[in-house]
Amino acid sequence: MVLEDQVEGEYLVVCLRERRLDAVIAAGFREAMLERIELGQHKIVLDLSSVGFLDSSGLGAVVAVLKHLGQRGCLYLCGVTPAVMAVLRLTRMDRVFRTFPTRAAALAA
Amino acid sequence: MAPKISSSPSPTCRSLEQAVTYHLQVTLGKSPDAADLEDLQLALAMAIRQPIIHAMNATEARVRAADAKQIHYLSMEFLIGRLLANNLRNLKLYDVCAEAATNLGFHLGNILETEVDPALGNGGLGRLAACFLDSLASLSYPGYGYGINYQYGLFRQSFANGFQHEQPDNWAQHGTPWQIERREHSSMIPIYGRVEASADAGGGFNPHWLEWKSLIGVPSDVPVVGYRGRCVNFLRLYSARAPAEFDMAIFNSGDYLRAMEHQVAVETVSKVLYPSDAAATGRELRFIQEYFFVACAMRDIFRRHFAAGHVVEDFGRYNALQLNDTHPALAVAELMRTLVDEHDLGWERAWQITQDSTAYTNHTLLPEALERWPVELFGRVLPRHLEIVYEVNRRFLEEVALRYPGDEGRLGRMSIVQEHPSKEIRMAHLAIVGSHSVNGVAEMHSELVKHQLVPDFYELWPERFNNKTNGVTPRRWLLSCNPRLATLISEAIGPEWVADLEQLVGLEPLAGDAGFLDRFRQIKLANKSDLARRVHEVTGLKIDPASMFDVQIKRVHEYKRQLLNALHIMHLYLRIKEDKVALPVPKTFIFSGKAAPGYQLAKLIIKLINNIARIVNADRQVSQSLRVVFYPDYKVSVAEIIVPAADLSEQISTAGYEASGTGNMKLAMNGALTIGTLDGANVEIAREVGEENIYIFGLTADEVILARQAGDIAQLAHSANADIRRVIRELAAGRFSPEEPGLFAPIVAALTGACDPYMHLADFADYAAKQEQAAADFCNTSAWSARALINVARSARFSSDRTIREYASEIWGLKQVV
Repeated sequence: MVLEDQVEGEYLVVCLRERRLDAVIAAGFREAMLERIELGQHKIVLDLSSVGFLDSSGLGAVVAVLKHLGQRGCLYLCGVTPAVMAVLRLTRMDRVFRTFPTRAAALAA
Repeated sequence: MAPKISSSPSPTCRSLEQAVTYHLQVTLGKSPDAADLEDLQLALAMAIRQPIIHAMNATEARVRAADAKQIHYLSMEFLIGRLLANNLRNLKLYDVCAEAATNLGFHLGNILETEVDPALGNGGLGRLAACFLDSLASLSYPGYGYGINYQYGLFRQSFANGFQHEQPDNWAQHGTPWQIERREHSSMIPIYGRVEASADAGGGFNPHWLEWKSLIGVPSDVPVVGYRGRCVNFLRLYSARAPAEFDMAIFNSGDYLRAMEHQVAVETVSKVLYPSDAAATGRELRFIQEYFFVACAMRDIFRRHFAAGHVVEDFGRYNALQLNDTHPALAVAELMRTLVDEHDLGWERAWQITQDSTAYTNHTLLPEALERWPVELFGRVLPRHLEIVYEVNRRFLEEVALRYPGDEGRLGRMSIVQEHPSKEIRMAHLAIVGSHSVNGVAEMHSELVKHQLVPDFYELWPERFNNKTNGVTPRRWLLSCNPRLATLISEAIGPEWVADLEQLVGLEPLAGDAGFLDRFRQIKLANKSDLARRVHEVTGLKIDPASMFDVQIKRVHEYKRQLLNALHIMHLYLRIKEDKVALPVPKTFIFSGKAAPGYQLAKLIIKLINNIARIVNADRQVSQSLRVVFYPDYKVSVAEIIVPAADLSEQISTAGYEASGTGNMKLAMNGALTIGTLDGANVEIAREVGEENIYIFGLTADEVILARQAGDIAQLAHSANADIRRVIRELAAGRFSPEEPGLFAPIVAALTGACDPYMHLADFADYAAKQEQAAADFCNTSAWSARALINVARSARFSSDRTIREYASEIWGLKQVV
């Protein structure tokens, strides 16, 4: 699993360089993200522009990250592909996450 | 590059030959010298795919340009039959293709016989769906089918010692030229999981569907070629695939077999068609199949709706959904979920759109056949949908309570959720509540739906209930299956009848034309000779084309009463053997049909008919005037050879049981006289052809109810009729099962028990009398032919074109796109 970090002002932009966020990488993804939060990164933009498939394990991992952050900070999603957006809509998670078309739009929020 | 052919202007024989040769060599990798009939069939199909796909794309462009409303026909079954001959005739390429085949050294008829007949349905319901698609395309309506791409169709039937044996029907194992995979339109379908009540980003109530498993629905399109080939719609069938080839995490841990298990489990969803009469209720896989294809269809319909530039609010303006029975009733919940959860519509607006878009066709009067799913199963597989169904029901029951204050019994009867004896979701109630239209499939059936099946709903919403009598497509069921008669008709009244069956009335004056009747009779005889040859090839039995062909072809079920037919044949056998009575005319009784694998009594009826056939056909004294055939593995292509050859059409269901029937229509359209009860569409056939041109017998539906209440009618009939007593006695004594005398005891018990709900013995005497009359009438060949011709001439009402026009104008609000 490839996660690329980039600090943009007060935000940490994490780009998941995988085509699928599914059961194969969900646990590793969740742990890596929680580690970043524990290291003090509480404003995170997750760039999902490479991800074309999201299953319930992958979605569960993203939800776990959001829950772990709680009131401490924020988790924005950007570059959400149509297939992933369909899953978010289908499960009503599009109302839980703030999504942005691009990284720049998320950082400007 | 493949040689180009087009349907307009008509391709030449030469261009077709070139295209076929190209596909033989390049696509199939065969040398023309080494090609067999099946290779030719595939190459020919590929050759005509080109103009079909061009026409399909052009049709789609016209629909888009017209900004037209579309109908989406949701059905678990599409019994489409072989497609090559039908497509050639609809494209008007049949004759030029026959010439091309001859030039290549083959006979087109032999090529066509090699095509696999996809058995993607059980019977009438699935074949109706296929006829409707043909009519939609032939009438240039934008109408599309959505269903499941079953890997295994209905089982293949063979007989071993007269018993039905079932073998899997892996119909597409060698591929099919008629499906175009649309992988780019695949859909992810979640099932299982749980719903967690939580808040959205703004703090509002927001239930989440979590921990689901994914199925991927991959569509394949079967082009549906309308008559004259201008309009080509599609039937979109979905296969279930695992999200990845297999679970890589498990695979990487080294457990290859377990990794494959997941993939196999997912693909099971589109693996096999459930036979009718199988106890599907409670079967999780069947429930998942129903959701799977509905969810795939809804995703696709929304995708196309948005791709056309429309907004969600206009969904009902541009889309109509027809539920073929309750199998797709989950569409109500899925549409609500999509509108509320995915598109943020308020409940009331979403409900209005759902009702405006959805219509439901009922196909059964048997309360026990109405689908119900245990709440536990429903909630486990579709947790979010169960919440939605509960909310639909809560609001619905509020409406009922307001209208009928204090009527608790009514609330219980009408509720979508059955509370006792076990908690179940009543799918018919969900379909009725969620639809703006509820229709039966024959006039009599529609009345019974209103007054017997769901009277509470009819009282609440009388305007919602209507009738749409079924029909059959004259392209397949006359033009294609009976080319001799089609040619004669065209010679007599011109060729326009194919698209306008009302014109058949022009044949009626010819019922007095001896020369025409003689040609008509010769055609029937030629069709019977064809069938006799086929029967000999398949069963080894020789039958006489000059004998009267008495045909009963349909699913084997007690209510359809193949057993009544069998009792009568045993009676005739005993008349000849014991009473030394000669029949007025030699008779050949022809059966074909499958029994559900778990329906033991129906399978025993098949065994009985096969035993009768063995005894009758081997008896030199009897077999001169009586033969019995059970043609194995009934399917569309078998019907296509039997229907044109029938003299007498057996439509003898217990009155009040058959919703409509469509075999009755096909046979009448091809010049068979009907012997039948006042059941289903027989009532309308009798009205159309006139009572002098049909043999109606037996108890009416009302009389069946009274007889059932009386309880002892079977015993009364048994004691009053010596013929019945003799048949039952001989059957019980093992005359038709000498090697196993008690074999048919369950049949004897069912017939003579306290209450046979199917009234076999009660109807026997009247049936035998009408049979005797029909046999006597058959001896007068010119009078019989005149009556047969009148059946053809008055069959216009039973064209599915008429049915589809009624659906389009009265339910769907659909316009033709020409």
